[in-house]
Amino acid sequence: MNPVKKIVKPLEVLVIAGKTGKVTVKYPFEEPLVSPEFRGKIEIDPAKCIGCGACVNACPPNALEMIESEDKKTLRYFVGRCIFCWRCIDVCPVGAIKGTREFELATNDPMDLYDYIVHSKVVCEECKHPSSETARMLKYVWEKAPITENYNNKCPECRKKSFIKAVASRRAGPIGEKA
Amino acid sequence: MEKKLERLKKSIWVFHLNTGSCNGCDIEILDALTPYHDAERFGVKLVGSPRHADVLLLTGPITLESLPKVINAIEATPRPRIIVALGSCGSGGGIWHDTYSTIGGVNNLLKILKERGIEVDAVYYVPGCPIRPEALLYAIALVKGLVEKKAKSKVAVVE
Repeated sequence: MNPVKKIVKPLEVLVIAGKTGKVTVKYPFEEPLVSPEFRGKIEIDPAKCIGCGACVNACPPNALEMIESEDKKTLRYFVGRCIFCWRCIDVCPVGAIKGTREFELATNDPMDLYDYIVHSKVVCEECKHPSSETARMLKYVWEKAPITENYNNKCPECRKKSFIKAVASRRAGPIGEKA
Repeated sequence: MEKKLERLKKSIWVFHLNTGSCNGCDIEILDALTPYHDAERFGVKLVGSPRHADVLLLTGPITLESLPKVINAIEATPRPRIIVALGSCGSGGGIWHDTYSTIGGVNNLLKILKERGIEVDAVYYVPGCPIRPEALLYAIALVKGLVEKKAKSKVAVVE
């Protein structure tokens, strides 16, 4: 390469660089460029959530989990496992889950990644044991598909038993009296 | 050790450790190093050997096949060593959290390291599937103490 070209070539690059200008973003010190379609962390509204577990069934990586104990039902959201598919938003029957564009979730404490909603189970009228439903779930079902008040506040087991008993007594008279 | 971590914040050299990831997060790491995002503003440099690195960028759910190599790489990193677990797979196992061939995330790796007596000074979790390049820049800024931590656990009790 001849010596004149050796000097001129970098200068050409400088001219191109001058035309283009500075492209580097100043990101942590300015607002990030996030498109409106971007899917970020989900937020569950505890005022609306009924604890039915539809989102738990739909979640592909089990980021949403229902942890059941004796009288509590806890919906746990672990954002560290979430793949941000937003299927839970599609299936939520009451629209309690909202999507945000939040992606700045980095943390050095793993406990920061967990969100909890603690529901308490209703007590069955007949057997006095906590059933698997929450009070809001029963209310939701009552509004959508009314069932008679006999069965409303019973656990599924007792509901089944009393229903069979009612059908049987209608067919063949009250059980117990016959024998 | 606190003082050593302070010293680390000047300029961090990172080693990219792929532990069976789908290459989504790996591409985003390259994105973060391009002139547009330019992670070198913070003194971040990709190095070719864990012996030169301060931070291990761990992507993937840690397959059983890669586990011995991962442990070797972490052992070779000089103290103070920091692991940055990238993506859903790295930080929690992701979609592979209960499959037969992965150990499922960095938390289970830490248990194995503890059994073997290998210490890790700090672990940073960066959720996202895949992570945005900005999320990686944010994590780097968090390691260096430039930004405040935003993530916080929420506990709500319904009657």
